[in-house]
Amino acid sequence: MKLTKILLAMLLLALLVLPAILPPAMVNAAIQMLIAALFACAFNLLCGQGGMLSFGHAAYFGVGSFATLHAMSALNGQGLLPTPLLPLIGAMGGFICGLCAGWFATKRAGVYFSMITLALAELLHSLAPHLNTLFGGEAGISSMRAPAWGLDFGDATQVYYLTLGWVVLSIALLYAFTLTPMGRLTFALRENGHRLQFLGYNVHRLRVLVFALSAMFAGIAGGLQALNLESANYVLFDMRFSAEVVLNTYIGGVNVFLGPVLGAALMTFFGNAASDLTQSWLLYQGLLFVLVMMFMPSGLAGLVLCWSAQIRRRGWLAMVPAAFSALLSAGLLSLAVVFLIETLQRVFSQDYQALLMADQAWPAISLFGREWLPGALLTWATPLLLGVAGLLVLKLARRQWLRLLDDEPQVSAAALRPRLEGEQP
Amino acid sequence: MEFLTVSLLNGVIYGLLLFMVSAGLTLIFGMMGVLNFAHASFYMVGAYLAYTLQKFVGFTTAVLLSTVLVGLLGVIVERFFLRRVHKHGHAHELLLTFGLTFIIAELIKLFYGNFSVEYRVPEFLNFAAFQVFSTDYPFYRLLMGGVSLLVFGLIYLLLTRTRVGIVVRAAIHRPQMAEALGHNVPLVFMAVFGIGAALAGLAGALAGAFYTTNPNMALELGVIVFVVVVVGGLGSMAGAMIASLLIGLISSFAVGVDLSLASLLGLVGAGDWAQQMGGLMTLKVSSVAATIPFALMLLILLIRPSGLMGEKG
Repeated sequence: MKLTKILLAMLLLALLVLPAILPPAMVNAAIQMLIAALFACAFNLLCGQGGMLSFGHAAYFGVGSFATLHAMSALNGQGLLPTPLLPLIGAMGGFICGLCAGWFATKRAGVYFSMITLALAELLHSLAPHLNTLFGGEAGISSMRAPAWGLDFGDATQVYYLTLGWVVLSIALLYAFTLTPMGRLTFALRENGHRLQFLGYNVHRLRVLVFALSAMFAGIAGGLQALNLESANYVLFDMRFSAEVVLNTYIGGVNVFLGPVLGAALMTFFGNAASDLTQSWLLYQGLLFVLVMMFMPSGLAGLVLCWSAQIRRRGWLAMVPAAFSALLSAGLLSLAVVFLIETLQRVFSQDYQALLMADQAWPAISLFGREWLPGALLTWATPLLLGVAGLLVLKLARRQWLRLLDDEPQVSAAALRPRLEGEQP
Repeated sequence: MEFLTVSLLNGVIYGLLLFMVSAGLTLIFGMMGVLNFAHASFYMVGAYLAYTLQKFVGFTTAVLLSTVLVGLLGVIVERFFLRRVHKHGHAHELLLTFGLTFIIAELIKLFYGNFSVEYRVPEFLNFAAFQVFSTDYPFYRLLMGGVSLLVFGLIYLLLTRTRVGIVVRAAIHRPQMAEALGHNVPLVFMAVFGIGAALAGLAGALAGAFYTTNPNMALELGVIVFVVVVVGGLGSMAGAMIASLLIGLISSFAVGVDLSLASLLGLVGAGDWAQQMGGLMTLKVSSVAATIPFALMLLILLIRPSGLMGEKG
């Protein structure tokens, strides 16, 4: 527990000094990471803790964004509230929408709940471009950050600190919520809603409240996005964003409070870094998600917890061989996959296909600072060999890991998996 | 009158096409309790496979071949992906198929680019079947409708008149009991998943040539198909048929209706007030045609949660 606190304090300190060391372009990426982290954390209140899997959470993020923008340009650009308090309007927008949508959606549980949230989000997505006064049609609406409290919010650094403040406060509030009686009831909701009903709780009201709270924090994230970009359009309601938060949250791990934060921050960071390097980022994200779903149901955070528990029990030294071979195999396998995907992407790209001439060998493509001929054996043997090597090392890592665990009962994966409400363990 | 006839025809045929995709989805759900998010991706894969194959083997063979290949893909997904996570519960399976849609869409983008491909109706099928009020009505639409009617008939006969059908229905109704009686239920699951995927692939191969074939087609159709199965009642074949036709007709009529809430209110004398209100009031039905299915789905879920023909609540 003490270690966790020290780590969190160090993380916070690092986040505080970050703008001083980062180049300005990266500060914007850091802001996006923070926003994505808050969004995922808000989403996890609903799906990880409440057991209600929503496929349309971008709707509340978007509503928060639009509400904040409208508040920003209210009173002839003066803003309804001073700029630093504007996300409150986003929170309000998210909460009200969450109450309305949640009242409908939580009437049903399980798969039906997911379908209703999906339909509500799609409804909004297809209506929004036609509602000009609210959502500004296809072009969207934009506004300007007004100076307030002696700050002009002109550069990214000030926006960064504002975002950091709101994100830390919101995540702290979300954590505090899990400790309240209602927070505990939320867990109970996931485990067994029927039993809760027998105990005399009003389950529907509880579900609506959890839904609305989750939407409220998503609205804050949306408000921060509005403050950062100073504009928004109906694309915010796109299925893509709802999907992204689902992927981020589950890659991070839904059963650990900070798991989604980890997942969202990592995914946004790599997404930003990779967008210049590859066009197939979404493919990697999808692959990672499916791998996590199939082999590590508890996500990255679960992996971290599992390893740290083992380290505490056996000390660092005993873990080194297994850790080393696991990392090596992960590295080899990802290298193989990246190599293969990037080669295919280059060979099948439109620019490259336009270069081809009949009866001539296919020209070389450049990858990892080298030229590779699509006709050459080496080009295809490299990923194959890397993959085979990775699989062999993986087998070794598995054996080492099992030998470590040999003398004690294994934690069953079933206890860690995400569950929908009402489902029996 | 012309609008009515053409919309009716188009709506019915679009509905039949929707049925081909949703039939598999609803069968799979009824049996395994898995809402297969990747089902519409099978539709897309079918279209792209047929597009690629028709350059080499001709249109008819390409359509048949891609149907079989997509069926195999479905078998692989069930055997090596879904079965692995079955023990983790339905939420997990849903999320896994959700991830697969991402991978499939991105792979399609990788191989074919992020734009629509030139997949056209072949010359020998591209002629007018008959004339409706001096407009030619394409034969290909009738072909699509005919094929899905044929599929409906075959599935119906297979499920109700054969021994295999009895086993499948038993496996849907009480999987544990069927297994206890010595039937290989996992094999039945795999086969039904494969057949469902093959149907989606067939629909894609046929419809891709008539409508557009692009990397977004899975998502666009996917949500509509979800609406269909939920409205029809998850797991009900007849419900899927009725809901498909309903949604098909609604979408085909809605795009041609130029009315709005304001004109409705105009009947009771509040038209001017509504015009001034703007916003939702003056939206034309035609411009919000895409939203009507979702509104219908919400309505059904609230009034009759198990769907039109669903039995389980």
